[in-house]
Amino acid sequence: MAEPILQVERVSKVFGGLTAVNDISFSMQPGEILGLIGPNGAGKTTLFNVISGYYAPTRGRVFFQGRDVSGKPPYALAARGIGRTFQVVKPFAGLTVLENITIASFLKHPRRHQAEQAAWKVLEDTGLADRANKQAASLTLAGRKRLEISKALALEPSFLLLDEVVAGLNPTEVDRTIELILRLRDNGITILVVEHIMRVIMGISDRLVVLNFGQMIAEGKPAEVAANPGVVQAYLGEEHE
Amino acid sequence: MVPISKDRRLLGAVVVVGVAALVPAVVHDTFWLRVVTEAYMWIGLALGFDVLAGYTGYLNFGHQAFFGIGAYATALLMMRAHWPFPLALAAGGVVGGLAALLLGIPTLRLRGAYFAIATWAVARAVQQYALVATFTGGADGLRTTPYLNPQFFYYVMLGIVAATFFVLWFLLERAPFGLKLKAVREDQESAKALGLNPTHLKLKAFILSAVPAALCGGVFAWWVTFIDPDSTLGDLLSDQALVMVVFGGMGTLVGPVIGAVIIFAFKTLFWAYLSAYEVLYLIILGGVIALSVVFLPDGVLGMAFRRRARRAPEPGPESEPGPEPGSEPGPGPASVSAREKEA
Repeated sequence: MAEPILQVERVSKVFGGLTAVNDISFSMQPGEILGLIGPNGAGKTTLFNVISGYYAPTRGRVFFQGRDVSGKPPYALAARGIGRTFQVVKPFAGLTVLENITIASFLKHPRRHQAEQAAWKVLEDTGLADRANKQAASLTLAGRKRLEISKALALEPSFLLLDEVVAGLNPTEVDRTIELILRLRDNGITILVVEHIMRVIMGISDRLVVLNFGQMIAEGKPAEVAANPGVVQAYLGEEHE
Repeated sequence: MVPISKDRRLLGAVVVVGVAALVPAVVHDTFWLRVVTEAYMWIGLALGFDVLAGYTGYLNFGHQAFFGIGAYATALLMMRAHWPFPLALAAGGVVGGLAALLLGIPTLRLRGAYFAIATWAVARAVQQYALVATFTGGADGLRTTPYLNPQFFYYVMLGIVAATFFVLWFLLERAPFGLKLKAVREDQESAKALGLNPTHLKLKAFILSAVPAALCGGVFAWWVTFIDPDSTLGDLLSDQALVMVVFGGMGTLVGPVIGAVIIFAFKTLFWAYLSAYEVLYLIILGGVIALSVVFLPDGVLGMAFRRRARRAPEPGPESEPGPEPGSEPGPGPASVSAREKEA
């Protein structure tokens, strides 16, 4: 087995008295798609923010490509090859779609002209080229979600964190996004996905990690996880509405 | 994207500067030369103000501190250390930049209104210090050796302001820096995920905003031959720069120029003909800012653009023509089933 690209080692994140994520460990192989699932409030986004540098872990460590990156700021991680999207999409609303992506392209292409060319390539890849000169604020939700992925891709990352990029889309758009994610994986990008829609996450993930109340309650292939009684209870148990 | 049209606008700016350089050949009246020189000074102040306000999204109500620091540094170096003017002026710019660095490190962590309050308070403190300190001459101010050559000051001010415009144009409109600043303005958290360090970018912007103000202050100090805490460190300086930028059009370089010219022309006419009603000036200034925020959110420049856009057949951002089928948001079956799963 190759050396893992990402290693999460006994990570906990505590906010005041609340332990949002408790003692989580898992690792990811290059080229893998790992699905992170769990009911609302399970700590998925918190874990995401720890891995992408938005929160420093209270305990534990995160290794990326063999190096300890715990507590490194997001922009340093972006420079090392970690791209992420936000669950609540964050377009630069007052700028055009092309400008939004060009900003990300500056990481690998410091000159403006080259950065714009790289941004165009991303736009064509993600199907936003026809809206390149529109204000990001004018995009529909589907367009904004795609812009969110495009920005992360323009970093030319080796590792991608996708936070609910499918939620809220209609079936056609869902299929297009799935196709895009699989294509990225085939291009060698390792992907960590948070998603609520089971059809999607079961279909694309090589492995799943299940969180509930900040604890990791299961890990394994999608079929194994779906059959796990603890997981079924977490999702359908009587305490949950 | 559209380099040609941008270059054409740059060409326009070059022509304007060229014409401005010829003004003293035609205008011999010292009064009018003074007026135009002061107009340039306001353009310089407004441009610097807009680097932070328009491009970075921070209102700096302490902008006058940099003007004053530049003025005092230049005057003191000329009068006490007997430095030649160019050297003293350059040093004034450097001191202004350093002051921005020191002030920026703590204040640029603050957001919006808190930054405005913090910078305003610091600038007031600087003014008070200049009032009580002895080396600044306190309330009596400082005198510089008069040099009665209006043409000289006209060209120096024009040179500094034109250089400011072209440097800012290159950095903010041409180089990646401007787009990065706008990213920080639009969404700092998202900018971080794209490899941008907002603290560094904002500090650079703050320095870029302060240095032109300090240089204008330095020229002012020798030009008017007398500076005091009121004329160089008073908050009216920032207030006027703010009105000019908002009225002209924030987040552009041409907007502050237009705003500065219009507001300064108004100010000059007002003082020339209505100086008996000086209290009215501030009231009108306040009214202009309130009205332009409500009716001209993008300034005079933005209004001109919108007129042109309305005449052109291109639809506005709201009326996206024919969204592709399936791109509409809304609870499609997928998200409904997701909600069921959650439940």
